[in-house]
Amino acid sequence: MSPPDTSQRARGDAVLSIEGVDSGYGDVQVLDDLTMHVADGEIVCLIGPNGAGKSTVLKTVFGLLEPWSGSVRFAGGEIGGEDPADLVRKGVGYVPQIDNVFGSLSVNENLRMGGVARKEGLDETITELYERFPLLDEKRGATANQLSGGQRQVLALARALVMEPELLLIDEPSAGLAPSIVDDVFDDVQTVNDLGTSILMVEQNAREGLSISDRGVVLDQGTVRFEDRADRLLDNPEVSRLYLGG
Amino acid sequence: MSSLPQFLANGMVFSCIIVLGAIGLSLVYSIADFANFAHGDLMTVGAFGALVGGRYFEGAFPGADVSVFGLPVSFYLALLAGMAVGAVVAVLTERIVYRPMDAGSIELLITSIGVALSYRALVQLQFGAGRRSYDIGRGGPIDFFRETLGIGMTSRSLVIVTLTFVLVVALHLLLQYTTLGRKMRATSDNPSLAKVSGIRTENVVVAMWIIGGALAAAGGVFLGLDTIVRPRMGFDILLVVFAAVILGGIGSVYGAMLGGFVIGMTHELTPVIPLVGVEYDSAVAFILMVIILLVRPSGIMGGEAA
Repeated sequence: MSPPDTSQRARGDAVLSIEGVDSGYGDVQVLDDLTMHVADGEIVCLIGPNGAGKSTVLKTVFGLLEPWSGSVRFAGGEIGGEDPADLVRKGVGYVPQIDNVFGSLSVNENLRMGGVARKEGLDETITELYERFPLLDEKRGATANQLSGGQRQVLALARALVMEPELLLIDEPSAGLAPSIVDDVFDDVQTVNDLGTSILMVEQNAREGLSISDRGVVLDQGTVRFEDRADRLLDNPEVSRLYLGG
Repeated sequence: MSSLPQFLANGMVFSCIIVLGAIGLSLVYSIADFANFAHGDLMTVGAFGALVGGRYFEGAFPGADVSVFGLPVSFYLALLAGMAVGAVVAVLTERIVYRPMDAGSIELLITSIGVALSYRALVQLQFGAGRRSYDIGRGGPIDFFRETLGIGMTSRSLVIVTLTFVLVVALHLLLQYTTLGRKMRATSDNPSLAKVSGIRTENVVVAMWIIGGALAAAGGVFLGLDTIVRPRMGFDILLVVFAAVILGGIGSVYGAMLGGFVIGMTHELTPVIPLVGVEYDSAVAFILMVIILLVRPSGIMGGEAA
């Protein structure tokens, strides 16, 4: 799998910028003047209490919700409210929290569906993904419904990688997984990042999420409360008391 | 020739018609998520489309009257015309009526009843309420089947069974081995994930309506070929088609094929059931559906996408 083409940007430039965004569901506002960014090549972990708007951030970035106001920019261009199918073609990937695989399709078909927008190199990329995730290779003919929770999460991750995205949005990769599997999934997230993909990850398991991230953003009531390097957030007593369970 | 093999042969022909109707109905349900009560009348539209096509192609060019498997070439062209009409009408209805409504399953179901009545009214306005036929000679039983199996299989029946087999196999190949087929199964399985995976789901929905409409039309043409062409033909068969879809598992194309076969066979095998009159053929099919649903509430292949 070749790394995403980020030749036009230096490491550290913002690949995603969210500025002054309000968003929500129907008449219910969830995000309130949200401003944050993801720099090229980093993992940013979005944490916060239930209902803080973490998943809403991802849905707003990925065009599943239209921002009411403000700006969402990817690689310098405005993407607020764009069709997800177009964003996939621009280099943004999204792994939903639940129902993130096609249960009745085989592992191989799931990966092929992840690459429907590719014009060439699909087979080569899928072969490389099988090398990177051997458990998928072993199960390539099985339907996704036959996989365990951890295997499905890896498949969901791999499906989003087929397009070789520059930015990957991951919604709670550890949700519903046994603790013994969570570390493996986070290792896989780290591996994806090592390949050059920037990641914005929502994670309820805040300490684990921050431990593999470059930066953390604490969201509360739809707005940013804290934003810092992940290790500093982990050491911040106030953040620890309020959002990391003491 | 009213032996069990004969009833089985009749059942095979009727099953083919039901299978074609059931596949389209199930496809639409799996993607658009509503029970399309206009599907039976879409079969009627296809049958009348072929009627017009048959008149156009009959004698239109040298060789149009040449017989292939006992039916003139013009009939096969008329079949294609009917399927094209069914596909176009299905897509137009989706674009003009269902999609702009942006409504839930119940609202769309009720709307589809109105669409069904509209189809039928338009057919009656154009063609009248009377009976029509494809003006193809009935022909006698094929000697081979009469002598070897002792059944009266006509050219019409043979063509219906053969072409249905071809269409079903073609659909299977499309679903399993083409990118469009995988997209259709993926969209049916999880529409929101299909969208975030980059699939242009609106194009997949159009493809579903085209295929569903064309297959419904083929079923209507075969029903007209086997019996007669009339404005209520599709409506009268709709409940049996629904029974096949429910029996097979709502939303499952392969379930619809299996359900169509079981319901069609049961329907035609009613005469061999002691003490049950042939007028109860539909009732027997429904009773079988209820019995199977008691054992498998989600249908034979329920829960499997597309």
